[in-house]
Amino acid sequence: MTSNEVKDLILEIIADIDEDAEFDDLQADQPLRDQLDLDSMDFLDIVMELRKRHQLQIPEEDYPQLATLNSCVNYLGPLLKNA
Amino acid sequence: MNVRFLIIGSGLSGLAAAIRYARFSPDVLLVEKHSRIGGLNSYFYRNGTLIETGLHAVTNFAEPKNKKAPLNQLFRQLKLNRKQIHIHEQIASEVCFTNRESILFSNNFEILHDQIILKFPHAAPGFDNLVSAINAYDPFYLRGFISAKAFLLHYLQDSLLVDMIMCPLMFYGSSIENDMDLGQFVIMFRSIFQEGMFRPHGTIKDFLDLLRHHYEQFGGRILMQSRVTKILHKNRKVSAVELETGEVIQCDRLLSTIGYQETMQLLGRETTDESVNRLGFIESIFQLPISCRHRLPVDRTIIFYNTTDHFLYQRPQSFVDFNSGVICFPSNFQGIEPQNYFEIRSTHLADFFSWKALQSDRDAYLAKKAQAARRSTETIAEIIGNFSDNIVYEDTFTPLTVERFTAKKEGAIYGHPQKFKDGKIGYDNLFLAGTDQGYLGIIGSMLSGVSMVNQHILPAL
Repeated sequence: MTSNEVKDLILEIIADIDEDAEFDDLQADQPLRDQLDLDSMDFLDIVMELRKRHQLQIPEEDYPQLATLNSCVNYLGPLLKNA
Repeated sequence: MNVRFLIIGSGLSGLAAAIRYARFSPDVLLVEKHSRIGGLNSYFYRNGTLIETGLHAVTNFAEPKNKKAPLNQLFRQLKLNRKQIHIHEQIASEVCFTNRESILFSNNFEILHDQIILKFPHAAPGFDNLVSAINAYDPFYLRGFISAKAFLLHYLQDSLLVDMIMCPLMFYGSSIENDMDLGQFVIMFRSIFQEGMFRPHGTIKDFLDLLRHHYEQFGGRILMQSRVTKILHKNRKVSAVELETGEVIQCDRLLSTIGYQETMQLLGRETTDESVNRLGFIESIFQLPISCRHRLPVDRTIIFYNTTDHFLYQRPQSFVDFNSGVICFPSNFQGIEPQNYFEIRSTHLADFFSWKALQSDRDAYLAKKAQAARRSTETIAEIIGNFSDNIVYEDTFTPLTVERFTAKKEGAIYGHPQKFKDGKIGYDNLFLAGTDQGYLGIIGSMLSGVSMVNQHILPAL
Protein backbone atom coordinates (compact mmCIF):
# COMPACT_ATOMS: atom_id res chain seq x y z
CA MET A 1 0.00 0.00 0.00
CA THR A 2 1.14 3.52 -0.74
CA SER A 3 0.90 6.27 1.88
CA ASN A 4 -2.25 7.56 0.25
CA GLU A 5 -3.78 4.11 0.21
CA VAL A 6 -3.12 3.72 3.92
CA LYS A 7 -4.77 7.11 4.53
CA ASP A 8 -7.74 6.12 2.40
CA LEU A 9 -8.05 2.84 4.29
CA ILE A 10 -8.15 4.65 7.65
CA LEU A 11 -10.68 7.20 6.42
CA GLU A 12 -12.82 4.46 4.93
CA ILE A 13 -12.84 2.64 8.28
CA ILE A 14 -13.72 5.84 10.15
CA ALA A 15 -16.51 6.61 7.66
CA ASP A 16 -17.82 3.15 8.32
CA ILE A 17 -17.81 3.76 12.09
CA ASP A 18 -19.31 7.24 11.87
CA GLU A 19 -21.26 7.98 8.73
CA ASP A 20 -21.43 11.69 9.60
CA ALA A 21 -17.67 12.14 9.86
CA GLU A 22 -16.40 15.17 7.87
CA PHE A 23 -12.95 14.78 6.33
CA ASP A 24 -12.72 18.07 4.37
CA ASP A 25 -10.53 20.04 6.77
CA LEU A 26 -8.63 17.11 8.22
CA GLN A 27 -4.99 17.88 9.09
CA ALA A 28 -2.79 14.82 8.61
CA ASP A 29 -0.44 15.80 11.43
CA GLN A 30 -3.14 16.57 14.01
CA PRO A 31 -4.82 13.98 16.28
CA LEU A 32 -7.79 12.24 14.64
CA ARG A 33 -9.43 12.04 18.06
CA ASP A 34 -9.88 15.82 18.39
CA GLN A 35 -10.65 16.56 14.77
CA LEU A 36 -13.27 13.85 14.33
CA ASP A 37 -14.52 13.66 17.90
CA LEU A 38 -13.49 10.01 18.29
CA ASP A 39 -13.19 8.23 21.61
CA SER A 40 -11.27 5.20 22.83
CA MET A 41 -14.11 2.89 21.81
CA ASP A 42 -13.83 4.20 18.24
CA PHE A 43 -10.08 3.51 18.26
CA LEU A 44 -10.80 -0.05 19.34
CA ASP A 45 -13.12 -0.29 16.32
CA ILE A 46 -10.35 0.93 14.01
CA VAL A 47 -7.96 -1.67 15.41
CA MET A 48 -10.57 -4.43 15.08
CA GLU A 49 -11.39 -3.43 11.50
CA LEU A 50 -7.70 -3.53 10.56
CA ARG A 51 -7.54 -6.99 12.01
CA LYS A 52 -10.67 -8.13 10.19
CA ARG A 53 -9.66 -6.67 6.83
CA HIS A 54 -5.89 -7.22 6.84
CA GLN A 55 -5.26 -9.74 9.63
CA LEU A 56 -3.15 -7.13 11.42
CA GLN A 57 -2.55 -7.77 15.11
CA ILE A 58 -1.94 -4.43 16.78
CA PRO A 59 -0.89 -4.75 20.42
CA GLU A 60 -2.56 -2.40 22.86
CA GLU A 61 0.67 -0.55 23.60
CA ASP A 62 0.86 0.45 19.93
CA TYR A 63 -2.60 2.09 19.80
CA PRO A 64 -1.03 5.57 20.25
CA GLN A 65 0.71 5.02 16.89
CA LEU A 66 -2.70 5.49 15.27
CA ALA A 67 -3.17 9.00 16.68
CA THR A 68 -2.80 11.01 13.46
CA LEU A 69 -3.12 10.13 9.77
CA ASN A 70 0.63 10.62 9.37
CA SER A 71 1.45 8.36 12.28
CA CYS A 72 -0.93 5.75 10.85
CA VAL A 73 1.02 5.85 7.60
CA ASN A 74 4.36 5.52 9.42
CA TYR A 75 3.15 2.67 11.56
CA LEU A 76 0.89 0.76 9.18
CA GLY A 77 2.83 1.41 5.96
CA PRO A 78 5.51 -1.25 6.62
CA LEU A 79 2.91 -3.71 7.97
CA LEU A 80 0.75 -3.30 4.87
CA LYS A 81 3.50 -3.00 2.28
CA ASN A 82 2.42 -6.19 0.49
CA ALA A 83 -1.29 -5.55 0.89
CA MET B 1 -18.04 -28.23 19.02
CA ASN B 2 -15.38 -25.60 19.51
CA VAL B 3 -15.87 -21.81 19.49
CA ARG B 4 -13.62 -18.86 20.20
CA PHE B 5 -16.22 -17.00 22.23
CA LEU B 6 -19.25 -18.40 24.02
CA ILE B 7 -21.94 -16.39 25.79
CA ILE B 8 -24.43 -17.84 28.28
CA GLY B 9 -27.82 -16.12 28.16
CA SER B 10 -29.56 -14.29 25.33
CA GLY B 11 -30.94 -11.44 27.39
CA LEU B 12 -30.10 -7.94 26.25
CA SER B 13 -26.56 -7.97 27.67
CA GLY B 14 -25.79 -11.31 26.01
CA LEU B 15 -27.29 -10.23 22.69
CA ALA B 16 -25.34 -6.97 22.71
CA ALA B 17 -22.09 -8.76 23.62
CA ALA B 18 -22.71 -11.29 20.85
CA ILE B 19 -23.38 -8.63 18.22
CA ARG B 20 -20.36 -6.60 19.28
CA TYR B 21 -18.07 -9.60 18.83
CA ALA B 22 -19.73 -10.95 15.69
CA ARG B 23 -19.12 -7.60 14.03
CA PHE B 24 -15.42 -8.50 13.91
CA SER B 25 -15.47 -12.29 13.93
CA PRO B 26 -18.32 -14.76 13.36
CA ASP B 27 -16.78 -17.39 15.67
CA VAL B 28 -19.25 -16.72 18.47
CA LEU B 29 -22.01 -18.81 19.99
CA LEU B 30 -24.89 -17.61 22.14
CA VAL B 31 -26.45 -20.29 24.34
CA GLU B 32 -29.97 -19.81 25.68
CA LYS B 33 -31.91 -22.20 27.88
CA HIS B 34 -35.34 -20.98 26.80
CA SER B 35 -37.18 -21.24 23.53
CA ARG B 36 -37.27 -17.45 23.33
CA ILE B 37 -34.59 -14.78 23.54
CA GLY B 38 -34.70 -11.64 25.70
CA GLY B 39 -34.21 -12.88 29.27
CA LEU B 40 -36.02 -10.49 31.60
CA ASN B 41 -37.24 -8.46 28.66
CA SER B 42 -39.17 -11.00 26.70
CA TYR B 43 -42.78 -11.77 25.84
CA PHE B 44 -45.45 -14.43 25.78
CA TYR B 45 -48.85 -14.90 24.16
CA ARG B 46 -52.07 -15.01 26.13
CA ASN B 47 -55.62 -14.22 25.25
CA GLY B 48 -54.60 -13.78 21.62
CA THR B 49 -52.20 -10.94 22.32
CA LEU B 50 -48.49 -10.52 22.79
CA ILE B 51 -47.65 -9.58 26.36
CA GLU B 52 -44.29 -8.08 27.24
CA THR B 53 -42.55 -9.24 30.38
CA GLY B 54 -40.07 -6.54 31.31
CA LEU B 55 -40.38 -3.46 29.21
CA HIS B 56 -42.02 -0.44 30.83
CA ALA B 57 -39.95 2.22 29.27
CA VAL B 58 -36.43 2.37 27.98
CA THR B 59 -34.20 4.91 29.70
CA ASN B 60 -31.39 7.02 28.19
CA PHE B 61 -33.40 8.88 25.59
CA ALA B 62 -31.15 10.93 23.28
CA GLU B 63 -31.58 12.91 20.07
CA PRO B 64 -29.74 11.26 17.14
CA LYS B 65 -27.37 14.25 16.80
CA ASN B 66 -26.08 13.87 20.37
CA LYS B 67 -23.22 11.54 19.47
CA LYS B 68 -21.76 11.06 22.94
CA ALA B 69 -25.06 10.01 24.52
CA PRO B 70 -25.01 6.39 25.78
CA LEU B 71 -27.91 5.41 23.51
CA ASN B 72 -26.12 6.61 20.39
CA GLN B 73 -22.77 5.19 21.46
CA LEU B 74 -24.46 1.85 21.98
CA PHE B 75 -25.98 1.93 18.50
CA ARG B 76 -22.63 2.88 17.02
CA GLN B 77 -20.81 0.09 18.84
CA LEU B 78 -23.34 -2.45 17.58
CA LYS B 79 -23.38 -0.95 14.11
CA LEU B 80 -27.10 -0.40 14.34
CA ASN B 81 -28.58 2.62 12.66
CA ARG B 82 -30.87 4.88 14.69
CA LYS B 83 -33.04 5.06 11.58
CA GLN B 84 -33.84 1.35 12.00
CA ILE B 85 -35.73 2.11 15.18
CA HIS B 86 -38.58 4.53 15.53
CA ILE B 87 -38.74 6.00 19.00
CA HIS B 88 -41.74 7.18 21.03
CA GLU B 89 -40.81 9.56 23.84
CA GLN B 90 -42.65 9.49 27.15
CA ILE B 91 -45.39 12.07 27.75
CA ALA B 92 -44.65 12.88 31.39
CA SER B 93 -44.03 10.86 34.50
CA GLU B 94 -44.67 11.59 38.12
CA VAL B 95 -43.28 10.83 41.55
CA CYS B 96 -46.38 10.89 43.71
CA PHE B 97 -46.05 10.67 47.50
CA THR B 98 -49.73 10.76 48.33
CA ASN B 99 -50.81 13.43 50.82
CA ARG B 100 -47.29 14.85 50.78
CA GLU B 101 -46.03 16.11 47.45
CA SER B 102 -45.80 15.20 43.80
CA ILE B 103 -43.13 15.98 41.22
CA LEU B 104 -43.48 15.77 37.44
CA PHE B 105 -40.64 15.00 35.07
CA SER B 106 -40.26 14.36 31.36
CA ASN B 107 -37.51 14.20 28.77
CA ASN B 108 -37.06 17.94 29.25
CA PHE B 109 -34.96 18.32 32.41
CA GLU B 110 -36.24 21.88 32.88
CA ILE B 111 -39.60 20.48 33.95
CA LEU B 112 -38.07 18.66 36.91
CA HIS B 113 -35.96 21.71 37.72
CA ASP B 114 -39.04 23.99 37.71
CA GLN B 115 -40.94 21.51 39.88
CA ILE B 116 -38.20 21.64 42.51
CA ILE B 117 -38.22 25.45 42.50
CA LEU B 118 -42.00 25.44 42.82
CA LYS B 119 -42.42 22.72 45.43
CA PHE B 120 -39.13 22.67 47.33
CA PRO B 121 -37.95 26.30 46.99
CA HIS B 122 -35.64 26.02 50.02
CA ALA B 123 -33.84 23.11 48.36
CA ALA B 124 -33.57 24.65 44.88
CA PRO B 125 -30.01 26.07 45.25
CA GLY B 126 -28.92 22.74 46.73
CA PHE B 127 -30.51 20.93 43.80
CA ASP B 128 -28.47 23.00 41.34
CA ASN B 129 -25.31 22.14 43.24
CA LEU B 130 -26.33 18.49 43.28
CA VAL B 131 -26.79 18.52 39.50
CA SER B 132 -23.35 20.13 39.07
CA ALA B 133 -21.82 17.45 41.30
CA ILE B 134 -23.58 14.71 39.31
CA ASN B 135 -22.38 16.21 36.03
CA ALA B 136 -18.80 16.23 37.30
CA TYR B 137 -18.90 12.71 38.72
CA ASP B 138 -17.27 9.81 36.89
CA PRO B 139 -19.43 6.79 37.77
CA PHE B 140 -17.19 4.39 35.85
CA TYR B 141 -14.13 5.02 38.01
CA LEU B 142 -13.96 1.97 40.28
CA ARG B 143 -14.51 2.76 43.95
CA GLY B 144 -16.05 1.07 46.97
CA PHE B 145 -19.65 1.67 48.06
CA ILE B 146 -20.60 5.30 48.65
CA SER B 147 -24.09 6.08 49.98
CA ALA B 148 -26.14 8.03 47.44
CA LYS B 149 -28.66 8.88 50.16
CA ALA B 150 -26.03 10.62 52.30
CA PHE B 151 -24.75 12.44 49.21
CA LEU B 152 -28.24 13.73 48.39
CA LEU B 153 -29.01 14.72 51.97
CA HIS B 154 -25.80 16.72 52.06
CA TYR B 155 -26.94 18.81 49.07
CA LEU B 156 -30.70 18.96 49.58
CA GLN B 157 -31.14 18.94 53.39
CA ASP B 158 -34.67 17.63 52.88
CA SER B 159 -35.37 13.95 53.42
CA LEU B 160 -38.74 14.03 51.61
CA LEU B 161 -37.13 15.41 48.46
CA VAL B 162 -34.26 12.91 48.78
CA ASP B 163 -36.76 10.04 48.92
CA MET B 164 -38.77 11.44 46.01
CA ILE B 165 -35.70 11.73 43.81
CA MET B 166 -34.41 8.30 44.77
CA CYS B 167 -37.76 6.49 44.47
CA PRO B 168 -37.88 6.14 40.66
CA LEU B 169 -34.17 5.41 40.46
CA MET B 170 -34.45 2.66 43.06
CA PHE B 171 -37.44 1.06 41.38
CA TYR B 172 -35.65 1.23 38.05
CA GLY B 173 -32.48 -0.40 39.20
CA SER B 174 -31.38 -0.70 42.77
CA SER B 175 -30.42 -4.14 44.01
CA ILE B 176 -29.76 -2.88 47.53
CA GLU B 177 -32.19 -1.82 50.24
CA ASN B 178 -33.01 1.79 51.10
CA ASP B 179 -30.00 3.25 49.35
CA MET B 180 -27.97 3.12 46.17
CA ASP B 181 -24.32 3.11 45.39
CA LEU B 182 -23.44 6.65 44.33
CA GLY B 183 -22.00 5.53 41.00
CA GLN B 184 -25.18 3.62 40.24
CA PHE B 185 -27.25 6.60 41.36
CA VAL B 186 -25.38 8.96 39.03
CA ILE B 187 -25.88 6.60 36.10
CA MET B 188 -29.59 6.27 36.87
CA PHE B 189 -30.09 10.02 37.49
CA ARG B 190 -28.62 10.73 34.07
CA SER B 191 -30.51 7.88 32.41
CA ILE B 192 -33.94 8.76 33.79
CA PHE B 193 -34.04 12.44 34.72
CA GLN B 194 -31.43 14.07 32.49
CA GLU B 195 -31.89 11.89 29.40
CA GLY B 196 -35.37 10.44 29.82
CA MET B 197 -37.59 7.61 28.78
CA PHE B 198 -38.96 6.23 25.54
CA ARG B 199 -40.28 3.11 23.87
CA PRO B 200 -39.15 1.67 20.58
CA HIS B 201 -42.02 1.41 18.09
CA GLY B 202 -43.80 -1.93 18.18
CA THR B 203 -43.18 -4.50 20.87
CA ILE B 204 -40.14 -5.90 22.63
CA LYS B 205 -40.41 -8.80 20.15
CA ASP B 206 -39.74 -6.44 17.24
CA PHE B 207 -36.69 -5.08 19.03
CA LEU B 208 -35.38 -8.55 19.92
CA ASP B 209 -36.00 -9.81 16.37
CA LEU B 210 -34.03 -6.87 15.01
CA LEU B 211 -31.09 -7.65 17.31
CA ARG B 212 -31.15 -11.34 16.50
CA HIS B 213 -31.33 -10.71 12.77
CA HIS B 214 -28.45 -8.23 13.02
CA TYR B 215 -26.37 -10.78 14.95
CA GLU B 216 -27.09 -13.57 12.49
CA GLN B 217 -26.24 -11.32 9.55
CA PHE B 218 -22.75 -10.96 10.99
CA GLY B 219 -22.55 -14.76 11.02
CA GLY B 220 -23.15 -15.28 14.75
CA ARG B 221 -24.91 -18.45 15.88
CA ILE B 222 -27.44 -19.08 18.60
CA LEU B 223 -28.43 -22.31 20.37
CA MET B 224 -31.92 -22.22 21.83
CA GLN B 225 -33.37 -24.48 24.53
CA SER B 226 -29.86 -25.34 25.59
CA ARG B 227 -29.31 -25.12 29.31
CA VAL B 228 -25.74 -25.01 30.50
CA THR B 229 -25.36 -27.36 33.47
CA LYS B 230 -21.63 -27.07 34.05
CA ILE B 231 -18.68 -24.84 33.29
CA LEU B 232 -15.57 -27.00 32.94
CA HIS B 233 -12.43 -25.39 34.32
CA LYS B 234 -9.01 -26.07 35.71
CA ASN B 235 -7.56 -23.61 38.19
CA ARG B 236 -8.19 -20.14 36.74
CA LYS B 237 -8.96 -21.30 33.22
CA VAL B 238 -12.29 -22.27 31.74
CA SER B 239 -12.21 -24.79 28.90
CA ALA B 240 -15.79 -25.65 28.01
CA VAL B 241 -19.44 -25.69 28.98
CA GLU B 242 -21.57 -28.79 29.30
CA LEU B 243 -25.21 -28.71 28.25
CA GLU B 244 -28.15 -30.56 29.75
CA THR B 245 -27.99 -32.95 26.79
CA GLY B 246 -24.45 -33.92 27.77
CA GLU B 247 -22.94 -32.10 24.82
CA VAL B 248 -19.66 -30.35 25.62
CA ILE B 249 -18.76 -27.12 23.80
CA GLN B 250 -15.14 -26.00 24.03
CA CYS B 251 -14.50 -22.28 24.14
CA ASP B 252 -11.51 -19.95 24.43
CA ARG B 253 -13.42 -17.21 26.21
CA LEU B 254 -16.67 -17.29 28.11
CA LEU B 255 -19.06 -14.51 29.10
CA SER B 256 -21.81 -15.31 31.58
CA THR B 257 -24.85 -13.06 31.84
CA ILE B 258 -26.79 -15.22 34.28
CA GLY B 259 -25.58 -13.64 37.52
CA TYR B 260 -22.69 -14.10 39.93
CA GLN B 261 -23.99 -16.86 42.21
CA GLU B 262 -25.76 -18.54 39.32
CA THR B 263 -22.41 -18.67 37.47
CA MET B 264 -20.53 -19.89 40.55
CA GLN B 265 -23.02 -22.72 40.82
CA LEU B 266 -22.16 -23.86 37.27
CA LEU B 267 -18.50 -23.80 38.26
CA GLY B 268 -19.34 -26.15 41.11
CA ARG B 269 -18.41 -23.43 43.57
CA GLU B 270 -21.47 -23.02 45.73
CA THR B 271 -21.24 -19.65 47.46
CA THR B 272 -22.44 -19.63 51.03
CA ASP B 273 -23.36 -15.99 51.47
CA GLU B 274 -27.05 -16.37 52.22
CA SER B 275 -27.28 -13.25 54.36
CA VAL B 276 -27.83 -11.00 51.34
CA ASN B 277 -31.28 -9.59 50.84
CA ARG B 278 -32.24 -9.86 47.21
CA LEU B 279 -35.13 -7.72 46.11
CA GLY B 280 -38.08 -9.37 44.47
CA PHE B 281 -41.02 -7.75 42.72
CA ILE B 282 -44.55 -8.61 41.83
CA GLU B 283 -45.98 -7.23 38.62
CA SER B 284 -49.58 -7.24 37.40
CA ILE B 285 -50.78 -6.47 33.91
CA PHE B 286 -54.35 -5.31 33.40
CA GLN B 287 -55.88 -5.07 29.94
CA LEU B 288 -58.78 -2.70 29.46
CA PRO B 289 -60.93 -1.72 26.49
CA ILE B 290 -59.94 1.59 24.89
CA SER B 291 -63.43 2.95 25.64
CA CYS B 292 -62.52 3.57 29.28
CA ARG B 293 -59.13 5.14 28.62
CA HIS B 294 -60.42 8.71 28.97
CA ARG B 295 -61.34 8.03 32.61
CA LEU B 296 -57.73 7.27 33.50
CA PRO B 297 -54.68 9.49 33.20
CA VAL B 298 -53.77 9.91 29.51
CA ASP B 299 -50.93 12.35 30.16
CA ARG B 300 -48.86 10.17 32.48
CA THR B 301 -46.44 7.54 31.26
CA ILE B 302 -45.23 6.24 34.62
CA ILE B 303 -46.25 7.07 38.17
CA PHE B 304 -43.90 6.14 41.02
CA TYR B 305 -45.92 6.29 44.21
CA ASN B 306 -45.54 6.01 47.96
CA THR B 307 -48.31 6.29 50.53
CA THR B 308 -46.29 6.25 53.77
CA ASP B 309 -44.43 8.92 55.71
CA HIS B 310 -41.12 7.17 55.21
CA PHE B 311 -40.52 5.58 51.86
CA LEU B 312 -39.07 2.10 52.29
CA TYR B 313 -37.31 0.27 49.51
CA GLN B 314 -36.64 -3.08 51.10
CA ARG B 315 -37.73 -6.67 51.11
CA PRO B 316 -41.21 -6.70 52.68
CA GLN B 317 -42.00 -8.76 55.79
CA SER B 318 -44.67 -10.70 53.95
CA PHE B 319 -45.84 -11.26 50.37
CA VAL B 320 -46.13 -7.74 48.95
CA ASP B 321 -45.54 -4.16 50.09
CA PHE B 322 -48.42 -2.18 48.58
CA ASN B 323 -47.29 1.05 50.25
CA SER B 324 -45.21 1.92 47.24
CA GLY B 325 -44.86 0.90 43.65
CA VAL B 326 -44.82 1.77 39.99
CA ILE B 327 -47.85 2.31 37.77
CA CYS B 328 -47.05 2.21 34.07
CA PHE B 329 -49.22 3.04 31.05
CA PRO B 330 -47.34 1.48 28.11
CA SER B 331 -49.69 3.17 25.63
CA ASN B 332 -49.04 6.66 27.01
CA PHE B 333 -46.04 7.50 24.89
CA GLN B 334 -45.99 10.19 22.22
CA GLY B 335 -47.32 9.09 18.86
CA ILE B 336 -48.58 5.63 19.80
CA GLU B 337 -51.77 4.84 17.90
CA PRO B 338 -54.59 3.62 20.16
CA GLN B 339 -55.44 -0.08 19.82
CA ASN B 340 -58.65 -1.84 20.88
CA TYR B 341 -57.19 -2.49 24.30
CA PHE B 342 -54.65 -0.75 26.49
CA GLU B 343 -52.62 -1.83 29.49
CA ILE B 344 -51.99 -0.70 33.01
CA ARG B 345 -49.07 -2.36 34.76
CA SER B 346 -48.36 -2.24 38.47
CA THR B 347 -45.16 -3.25 40.24
CA HIS B 348 -44.51 -3.60 43.98
CA LEU B 349 -41.73 -4.99 46.14
CA ALA B 350 -42.38 -8.61 47.09
CA ASP B 351 -40.86 -11.20 49.37
CA PHE B 352 -39.63 -14.25 47.48
CA PHE B 353 -39.70 -16.55 50.50
CA SER B 354 -43.37 -15.92 51.34
CA TRP B 355 -44.26 -16.91 47.78
CA LYS B 356 -41.84 -19.82 47.81
CA ALA B 357 -43.58 -21.22 50.91
CA LEU B 358 -46.78 -21.57 48.88
CA GLN B 359 -45.11 -23.25 45.93
CA SER B 360 -46.22 -26.77 46.83
CA ASP B 361 -49.85 -25.72 47.37
CA ARG B 362 -50.95 -24.67 43.90
CA ASP B 363 -54.45 -23.53 44.93
CA ALA B 364 -53.20 -21.43 47.82
CA TYR B 365 -50.53 -19.88 45.59
CA LEU B 366 -53.05 -18.96 42.87
CA ALA B 367 -55.49 -17.60 45.43
CA LYS B 368 -52.76 -15.46 46.98
CA LYS B 369 -51.72 -14.22 43.57
CA ALA B 370 -55.31 -13.24 42.69
CA GLN B 371 -55.66 -11.53 46.05
CA ALA B 372 -52.45 -9.57 45.47
CA ALA B 373 -53.69 -8.43 42.06
CA ARG B 374 -56.96 -7.23 43.69
CA ARG B 375 -55.09 -5.34 46.39
CA SER B 376 -52.90 -3.77 43.73
CA THR B 377 -55.90 -2.51 41.72
CA GLU B 378 -57.47 -1.08 44.88
CA THR B 379 -54.25 0.63 45.91
CA ILE B 380 -53.47 2.21 42.58
CA ALA B 381 -57.13 3.16 42.06
CA GLU B 382 -56.58 5.67 44.87
CA ILE B 383 -54.07 7.39 42.61
CA ILE B 384 -55.38 6.93 39.07
CA GLY B 385 -59.09 6.22 39.57
CA ASN B 386 -61.03 3.00 39.67
CA PHE B 387 -60.71 0.60 36.75
CA SER B 388 -61.21 -2.88 38.21
CA ASP B 389 -64.70 -3.33 36.69
CA ASN B 390 -63.28 -2.82 33.20
CA ILE B 391 -60.47 -5.36 33.28
CA VAL B 392 -60.85 -7.82 30.39
CA TYR B 393 -57.67 -9.75 31.04
CA GLU B 394 -55.05 -9.76 33.77
CA ASP B 395 -51.90 -11.62 34.63
CA THR B 396 -49.52 -11.42 37.56
CA PHE B 397 -45.87 -12.42 37.90
CA THR B 398 -44.54 -13.17 41.36
CA PRO B 399 -40.81 -13.46 42.21
CA LEU B 400 -41.37 -17.20 41.75
CA THR B 401 -42.54 -16.66 38.16
CA VAL B 402 -39.47 -14.53 37.49
CA GLU B 403 -37.15 -17.15 38.94
CA ARG B 404 -38.79 -19.88 36.91
CA PHE B 405 -38.59 -18.11 33.56
CA THR B 406 -35.41 -16.08 33.88
CA ALA B 407 -33.35 -18.19 36.31
CA LYS B 408 -32.68 -15.04 38.35
CA LYS B 409 -32.08 -16.34 41.85
CA GLU B 410 -35.05 -15.55 44.13
CA GLY B 411 -36.63 -13.76 41.18
CA ALA B 412 -34.47 -10.74 41.97
CA ILE B 413 -34.55 -8.85 38.68
CA TYR B 414 -31.69 -6.55 39.73
CA GLY B 415 -29.60 -9.45 40.94
CA HIS B 416 -27.04 -9.70 43.70
CA PRO B 417 -26.62 -6.60 45.90
CA GLN B 418 -22.89 -6.65 45.28
CA LYS B 419 -21.78 -5.80 41.76
CA PHE B 420 -18.68 -6.89 39.86
CA LYS B 421 -18.03 -3.75 37.89
CA ASP B 422 -14.89 -4.98 36.16
CA GLY B 423 -16.65 -8.24 35.21
CA LYS B 424 -13.93 -10.32 36.89
CA ILE B 425 -14.85 -13.21 39.15
CA GLY B 426 -11.50 -14.91 39.54
CA TYR B 427 -10.92 -16.57 36.16
CA ASP B 428 -8.60 -15.64 33.31
CA ASN B 429 -11.06 -16.21 30.49
CA LEU B 430 -14.49 -16.05 32.13
CA PHE B 431 -16.20 -12.74 32.72
CA LEU B 432 -19.54 -11.50 33.93
CA ALA B 433 -21.89 -9.16 32.04
CA GLY B 434 -25.46 -8.06 32.58
CA THR B 435 -27.31 -7.69 35.86
CA ASP B 436 -24.51 -8.53 38.30
CA GLN B 437 -21.85 -6.58 36.44
CA GLY B 438 -23.75 -3.49 37.41
CA TYR B 439 -25.35 -1.57 34.55
CA LEU B 440 -29.10 -1.98 34.74
CA GLY B 441 -32.07 -1.37 32.50
CA ILE B 442 -32.26 -2.22 28.82
CA ILE B 443 -29.65 0.27 27.64
CA GLY B 444 -27.46 -0.38 30.70
CA SER B 445 -27.51 -4.14 30.15
CA MET B 446 -26.62 -3.73 26.51
CA LEU B 447 -23.78 -1.35 27.36
CA SER B 448 -22.61 -3.89 29.93
CA GLY B 449 -22.37 -6.58 27.24
CA VAL B 450 -20.55 -4.23 24.88
CA SER B 451 -18.09 -2.89 27.44
CA MET B 452 -17.17 -6.31 28.82
CA VAL B 453 -16.46 -7.52 25.27
CA ASN B 454 -14.40 -4.37 24.60
CA GLN B 455 -12.40 -4.78 27.80
CA HIS B 456 -11.88 -8.50 28.06
CA ILE B 457 -12.69 -10.28 24.82
CA LEU B 458 -11.77 -8.21 21.76
CA PRO B 459 -8.23 -7.23 22.86
CA ALA B 460 -7.42 -10.95 23.07
CA LEU B 461 -8.95 -11.81 19.68
